[in-house]
Parts: sequence; C-alpha cells; structure tokens
Amino acid sequence: MGPLAVNEIISENTNLFFAFLIGIGFGYVLEASGFSSSRKLAGVFYGYDMVVLKVFFTAAITAMTGLLLFSLFGWIDLSLVYINPLYVTSAIVGGIIMGGGFILGGYCPGTSFCGASIGKIDAMVFIAGLFIGVALFAAGFNWFEGLYMAAFRGDPKISTALKMSDGFFALLLILAALAMFWVAEIVEKKFPREEY
Amino acid sequence: MNPRVLLALIIIPLGLVIAAVPQNKTVPYKLTAPELLSEVAERTQFVSPEVIADMLIKKDPTLRLIDVRSQQEFEKYSLPGAINIPLTDLLSEEYADILNQDVKMNVFYSNGSLAANEAWMITRQLGYTNNYVLEGGLNYWYETILNPQKPSSVSSDEEFLRYDLRKGAGMALGGDAEVKDTQDQAAGPSLKPAIKPVAKKKKAAGGC
Amino acid sequence: MNEIKKDRSKKYLNPYLGGVLLGLVLLSANFIAGRGLGASGAVKSVIVTATTTVAPSAAEKSGFVKEYMESHKGNPMKNWLVFQMAGVIVGGFLSGALSGRLKLKVEHSPKITSRRRLIFALAGGILFGFGSQLGRGCTSGAALSGMAVLSLGGFVTMMAIFGTGFALAYFFRKNWI
Repeated sequence: MGPLAVNEIISENTNLFFAFLIGIGFGYVLEASGFSSSRKLAGVFYGYDMVVLKVFFTAAITAMTGLLLFSLFGWIDLSLVYINPLYVTSAIVGGIIMGGGFILGGYCPGTSFCGASIGKIDAMVFIAGLFIGVALFAAGFNWFEGLYMAAFRGDPKISTALKMSDGFFALLLILAALAMFWVAEIVEKKFPREEY
Repeated sequence: MNPRVLLALIIIPLGLVIAAVPQNKTVPYKLTAPELLSEVAERTQFVSPEVIADMLIKKDPTLRLIDVRSQQEFEKYSLPGAINIPLTDLLSEEYADILNQDVKMNVFYSNGSLAANEAWMITRQLGYTNNYVLEGGLNYWYETILNPQKPSSVSSDEEFLRYDLRKGAGMALGGDAEVKDTQDQAAGPSLKPAIKPVAKKKKAAGGC
Repeated sequence: MNEIKKDRSKKYLNPYLGGVLLGLVLLSANFIAGRGLGASGAVKSVIVTATTTVAPSAAEKSGFVKEYMESHKGNPMKNWLVFQMAGVIVGGFLSGALSGRLKLKVEHSPKITSRRRLIFALAGGILFGFGSQLGRGCTSGAALSGMAVLSLGGFVTMMAIFGTGFALAYFFRKNWI
C-alpha cells in the first residue's frame, strides 16, 4: 500500500498538497514544543534545557517504531522509502560544519523557519545566512565535488551494518533513548537556569 | 504520571513486538490472479527455438538467456552466452536488476519448459516485464535446432523451409546437422517480441 | 523559580508529547511520500531557481545546478520540500498565534547585545547552509528522518552535528547562558 506517492496511489500534485499539510503539522509541533526559541534549543549543549534531545529522540523512535509496525502489517513497503545515502567524508565534515553552525546560530534550518514565522529576527537573519551558505556551496561546488562524492557506501541501514534485525536494533534504540531521557532530566535539575 | 514513564510504558511493548516478530520480507505481488491467468492462457511468454537461434546467430545484443537449472547442470551444458540463475535463487536481491529491466529480452530456459515457466510466473507476478520462456526447453532445442529431423517427402514447402532454417541454425550453433543454405533465415519473419518499457522500481527522492 | 518553570511548561507542549506528535508527522510523511522531513532542501531549490533565472549561463556551468537537475525533474520550486517548508511557516505561525508568542524581537542572552546575536546568527546560518549541502541534509532531513529509517548515513551526520555542538559549547557559552 504505502508509500502512497511512490506506488502512485496518489498523484504528484496530491502529494505536494500533503507536503503542505505535513509541513503545517511539522511547523506547529516544532513551535509548540519550543523549537522556535534559539536559547531553548541551545540549552541542550549546556544542560539547562534538554527539550531538543527529548523531542528529537522521541520523534525518531516513534516514527521508527511506526514504520516497522506498518511494515509488519504490510501497510508500507520499506524498500521504497528513501534511505539517506552514506558518503562518509561529506557526512562527517558536513556534520561538523553544521554542529558549528548550530552552536553559533542557535537554530537549525527547520527551526529557524519556525522561529521566523513567529517574528524572531535572529531566526530571519539565520535564514539569510542559510541562503548565503547554500549559495557559497553552489558557487564553489566544482571545488568541493571531490569531497562531496568521496567514500560512497551506498544507502546502508545501521541495523544491517551491526548485523542485527531492524526490530532488535529498534528496541535497543528505544531503550537507549529512554535511558538518555532519564539522564537528561537529572542533568536539567543539576543545571537550572533562570527564565530566558 | 510522569510523561517519560508513560512514554516508556507505551513504546517499550511496541518495541518488544517489532523485535520479536520476524521482519516482513514478503514481496507483494503486482498482478492479480485473473490477470496472470489470462496471460498464461495467451501463452505470449513462450518464444520458439527458431527465434532464439536466429537472434543468437545475429548476435542480437538485446537477448539474454537465463539458465534456471542448477549450477552443475549449467556448467555441464548451456546455451551460448547464457547466465545462470538457479530457480531457487530467483528472488535473491542480486538478481533483481537483471530480472526487472527494460533493456534486454530475458529468456528463461530449463531442460523442459516447466522450471523456466515457473520462473516466468513468479517474476511476472512481481510485475516484471520483458521476461520470456524458451518453448520446450533444452530438450526441444536439441530436437529442433541441433538435430532436426528431415521432413517426409509429402510435407508442405513450409515445413521444408523450416527444416532448412533449423539446420542452418543448428550448424552455426554447433549442432550435427549438415547445412545446405544458411541464407534463408535472414529472410524469415522476425518473430521477436518487442521489449516493453518497465515501470522502474522508483524510490522517493529525498534529501534535505 | 519553581513557579516560573511550571508556567513555562504550561506554555509549551510536554517534550515527550511533542516528540510523539512530531514522530507521527514524520511517519505520515514516510507513509504518504516515502520520504522524511527536511528543510535545507527548500533553500537549495530557491538557490537553484535563482541561479537559473538570474544567471542562466553561470547555472549551465555549475556542477551544483547540474547535479540538482539530474536528480529532480521539472521546476525546482515545484518540489516536495518547498511545499513542506511553506507549511512549516504556516504551522509555526498558527501555533505562535494560538499561544500568544507572536512578537517581533531578537532573542538573546542578557549578557550579549542584539547586534552580537545577529552577527552570530548570520555566521551560524552560513555554516549550517553550507554544511547541510555538503552533508546532504540538515538536522531534520539527515539526522531525524535518517534515524527513523535506520539510515547509517543519518546516524553519522547526527553524531557529527551534536558531537561538534557539545565540543564547541564551552567556547560560546557567553552567547547562551
């Protein structure tokens, strides 16, 4: 049955309409969880507010569990779902640059749009920066191409790489996430901050 | 209740379920049973040995012969240029790109046509196109191409023409028939089925 | 202090509830479109459109535009992520409006000026924009969506993002606490 768009159960344009609806849900939940505030986001790096960690990992394990259950019921063909390809070098270097951007700017791209939508000027400036950054990459693409294409490893699943079944790895990840939440709540009590 | 505990109470049992139940590896069939039945009734999947022989002689690049017998049998004897995909390995991931494509004309063969036809049925149900079956299999191939029987003197001209064609092909493909005239087959009608474009298994585009 | 905390927790969704809801949004994206969420891809579409309209000759030479055009058919603005990001702006605005958080302001730590905050935001944006292209996805596209489909690539990117964030946190603490 699923994914609906790939199996052509819904048309290309209907898919775009759903993209808009999904976006509304995405933006609403991000904002309602406090992701429109850069200081709340940056809190994860200083221990005073672990909301990013909690929302992020809860979302990841929920979606992962849902997908695996759907697959179990035969509702979705997971082989048709996009799995991010792994180019080792660019994933690590890109991730490091993004980490730097996160600690400097306090947003990531999704949350910056969210922040901008409720009037955060710093978020708007961050978005301007995003455009400059992407344009810089585009302009210098011919120089970065080697790095961008290096060490391609296909689109492996982490469970396959660890030689586990998807379900077993998912269970481990769920337990790890819950343990992390428990630690995060202790950390939050240890590094309390005034209202910001 | 603490929301974290509530979350744990819901998601851990679900996690246990997905960890305990074996992964759903079934590949969904794309064709309904009536659709397949009508295709089976039309017998369009069968390609006659003459057509294959003709393509082999002309070195038609679109032809790909697939031997669905066991590896030992394949090593003992196989048709020229054939590749070996034992029937038992048909669904193996590594062969998916060979079986589901729109460039070549895949022709399954086995000793008879039973195993080859089984391979065709399975791939067809998965929605793959451009797969065919060598009519009669290797046994019939041997009878018709490699060792054709001369028709009796009362046979029609058409049968004599076919005999010459077979003999010529058999000669070119290493049979023991004597050859008189190999030019005829070039004039023979092309019975080769057209290659159909395939709806590629497409993944959603992603990326951020 | 405690009262302030209580007040704040009322304003925002409980993070676990928010996470479950976000997970369901991500699940429906995968179920409907066969892909995860994203953000920087929309910026990329805009840049590609801008390059092709403003400087078509430069676009022809750019490997970036070529690479994009090879993997995406049709108008780059008629893209799943562009529509999704339009939704994000609407959704964020709705939530902000419903809970009274609509306000034009620069958010910063009392220890730094607005100007400093904005300069850092711009620098952060540039780095994030650049890094997201190199790493083929940002926190939502690579890390979050990647993790939901158990992609090794997503995990690697996530570790790199958060690892660097923690490693550099000390040097920029003044900006935030």
